[in-house]
Amino acid sequence: MRRLPFAAWLLLPGGLALLLLMGGPVAVLLAESLRPFVPGSMRPGEGLTLQNYRDLLAPAYLFYAWETFRIGLIVSALSVLGAAPLAFAAVRSPRPAVRKGLLALLVGLLVMSLIARLYAIEMAWGSLGPLAPIGALTGIAPRSPRYAEVQVAIGLLHFTLPVVALMLVGAFRALSPRLEEAAASLGATRADAVLSVVLPLAAPAMVSGFLVALAMCISNFIAPLLLGRGVVVFTTSLMYTRFADIGNYPSGAAIGISMLLLSFAVVYGLAALARRALR
Amino acid sequence: MDRRQLLAAMAATAGSSAGPVFAQPRGEQLLVVMWGAQWIEVCRPIGEEWMRATGDRIQWELHAGGAMAVVGRLRPLWPRIQQNLIAAWDPVFDAMMEAGWMEPVDPAEMPALREIPDIFFKKNAQGQRMTVPLSTAGAFWGYRTDLVSGTPIESIEQLLEPRFRGKLCVPVPVNLSGLLMVSLAIQRGGNERNIEPGWQFLTELARRGNIGRVVANNSEMISAMSAGDLSVAFWNTGGWQAVRNRFPCRLLTRLTDNKGFLFNEGFAVMRGDNPARIAAAKRFANHFATAPINTRYNMPLGSGPTNVNSQAAESIRDIFYTPEELPRFAYIPDYSFMASQVDAWTRRWEQEITPLIRRA
Amino acid sequence: MMRWLDLPLRLLARAGVLVTVLFLLVPLVVACVLSFDDRSFLGPFPPREWSLRWYRGFLDNPAYMDGFWMSVQVALAAGAAATIIGTLAALAVSDPRLPGRAVWEALFLSPKFVPTVVIGFSLLVFTARIGIFDPFTRLVLGHTIITLPFTMRAVLASLIGLRRSHMEAAMSLGATEARALWDVAVPAARSGIVAGAAMAFVLSFDEVAVSLFLSDAFTQTLPIALVAEMRANLNLTIAAVSTVFLAATLLLVLLLDRLIGIERLAGDVGARG
Repeated sequence: MRRLPFAAWLLLPGGLALLLLMGGPVAVLLAESLRPFVPGSMRPGEGLTLQNYRDLLAPAYLFYAWETFRIGLIVSALSVLGAAPLAFAAVRSPRPAVRKGLLALLVGLLVMSLIARLYAIEMAWGSLGPLAPIGALTGIAPRSPRYAEVQVAIGLLHFTLPVVALMLVGAFRALSPRLEEAAASLGATRADAVLSVVLPLAAPAMVSGFLVALAMCISNFIAPLLLGRGVVVFTTSLMYTRFADIGNYPSGAAIGISMLLLSFAVVYGLAALARRALR
Repeated sequence: MDRRQLLAAMAATAGSSAGPVFAQPRGEQLLVVMWGAQWIEVCRPIGEEWMRATGDRIQWELHAGGAMAVVGRLRPLWPRIQQNLIAAWDPVFDAMMEAGWMEPVDPAEMPALREIPDIFFKKNAQGQRMTVPLSTAGAFWGYRTDLVSGTPIESIEQLLEPRFRGKLCVPVPVNLSGLLMVSLAIQRGGNERNIEPGWQFLTELARRGNIGRVVANNSEMISAMSAGDLSVAFWNTGGWQAVRNRFPCRLLTRLTDNKGFLFNEGFAVMRGDNPARIAAAKRFANHFATAPINTRYNMPLGSGPTNVNSQAAESIRDIFYTPEELPRFAYIPDYSFMASQVDAWTRRWEQEITPLIRRA
Repeated sequence: MMRWLDLPLRLLARAGVLVTVLFLLVPLVVACVLSFDDRSFLGPFPPREWSLRWYRGFLDNPAYMDGFWMSVQVALAAGAAATIIGTLAALAVSDPRLPGRAVWEALFLSPKFVPTVVIGFSLLVFTARIGIFDPFTRLVLGHTIITLPFTMRAVLASLIGLRRSHMEAAMSLGATEARALWDVAVPAARSGIVAGAAMAFVLSFDEVAVSLFLSDAFTQTLPIALVAEMRANLNLTIAAVSTVFLAATLLLVLLLDRLIGIERLAGDVGARG
């Protein structure tokens, strides 16, 4: 028999961790999701059922999944859009103080508590906050229930933007400034050089930043919980309600499994699409 | 040794080295679940005085939403739960009693219970007292009179008017165990068992965009009604009391075509395998039932004390009814039936109401 | 491209940077101002009367300090576990002789794409099933699995430059494979290990969703204490908390800059994607 490479042994702890901390739990979750729910009792009923999944096909639940996804797409696009110039300035600004300041801001936000930031957003962008007039530019009045959507999006953007920016900082650093210099020597303006040389080369990093942001958005639930005014409901919120409020574990498990599939489909599916498009 | 024993041991050592000269009995550590906002504000000092006086340690845990959520959360963990006292109200008492979680209480161990009229207690099949009633509270529609101009609200049918677009603050269905739906059902000739008319009314309100905010707990209701963009709410007397302390409000306690709801709040003593801890929990609950503490507890909550020797706050007169008024204006629904409907109502709310509020 | 477009484009880019920075900073400044508000509720901005009452409320509540220490313990334990496991996994995956490398890499990265709510909920049910009820253990387990992809990825990134030939050279000189890894690969991966460990600590420290399911009343991390207190008792204490966080973050960033240099740190952390 062929001897296993030494490397295989190094996989052992990691493999065990994956098996015990992800594989096992997901399997238990799957089993739980197939049990019938008996209202008023915590003991799951006898037998197996697909009812918990069938319930999720109601139009309202498809609506929540779509809303979660739609807000996630908008926020991810905005975070790439905002992060790109920021990251570029943080890498290429001629002034060292600007570079350092921007990087410190990004690292600082990464380590600062998300909850504290979300409440800060509620205070600043809420209907009484000083930034509410700017929020109204979206066309949604800060006093209307739909404004909760704007607030949740702002909260998520505050969460994803520094992460995407730091990813792009890494990407821009890897690009040699010589490329722009070369373009400039061929008569291109600086803006032209950035647009025609730097952006295409940074495109893969921007795509992966977009996907990471999207994954962060659709699996986040603290932003809708704290900023959603009870009106913006993400798929994650539905699951939490079943666990924390009504004790309907089988239904919560079915939502969890569906989310898992959806999340993998979105992230890996989109990544494959993006790879094909960039090729 | 588990964490709790470790903490107890640490507390005991700390007590023996730095404590007063007289012997302190080793205190019990109690986990007590309480509501946030004024509830915890009034309870914390009472708890601190108790800790100094007895050496017991009180750890407070806060209800994140309605008290019913605690039942859902603890059910899978039972009997491995750490909570010794849970502040709750009628439907939650019914649910926990049905699950067999509660310890009977007896005036022999808890003398202050003798001063509480028998009618306030929930009893089990054997006739044992099961709850420690602390307050008579209610849930009512009401509004901020500084924000509602024009015709005053005399019937909740008026809430369909365009002037209330985005102005209504309502609880999630799990909160108040669905009293909102019952109230709306009564308006259209139904009740808790004939809830359909309530859902229809609710759908109309949501479709017109009149529901501005859906809140999950007292604290959210108080902040939402203080911000000034919402003017009408359906909520319990405790939340209203906090809003009334800041702004002029009118509670619709005497509607001709609808009813107000009354219920009892108090403590449930949880069963457990440590008799000394249960005894300590009963002593603490008894302390809350004594007249001076019962008075102090109910003052900021705008609720009526249950101990016959307690004093009621002057400000809550309009909330409570004379015996003649009681059948006319107040309604006591079948809370245990409502407790069994929370799951179904929550899912219906998700499917039918939230999307309407979003789209409106 | 037209030359006249150059200036407007550059101005536009600058304005974009400025707007983004303001977007990130202004809410924190607003929270800072409101933390000195004397009103008992969140009222219109700006406040008219000032007080320190919210800071007193923050200091008087032991939940925050207890939560802070709990978070530190959980983050240290889970960060250490994730760093060790992740480093070993990265060393294995970087070996070209390992069959199915791409599959293993994808597997180790996959927890990143499982919604944390799902991890928390399923881990709660699973640990109860196998008889683990201690919340501290549960929290460490949960935080280990969610930080594992980040430590693995950071170490893997730092191993890209490692020449296989160096390892083979060491082995041809008589070192066992384990020895060669320890002497050659681990030092080469040092910056990745440090960055991964830092990332794991930060992620664990700020984790909410997993902890919400796995903590209990006596074992609460700081974010959970914050959520529990604020959901049940929303008031401007949260503004004071935000301000304290802001100050602590500033100090930490200054310290990190002194110790590692912010530019290097940002580069390492950027590898998290």
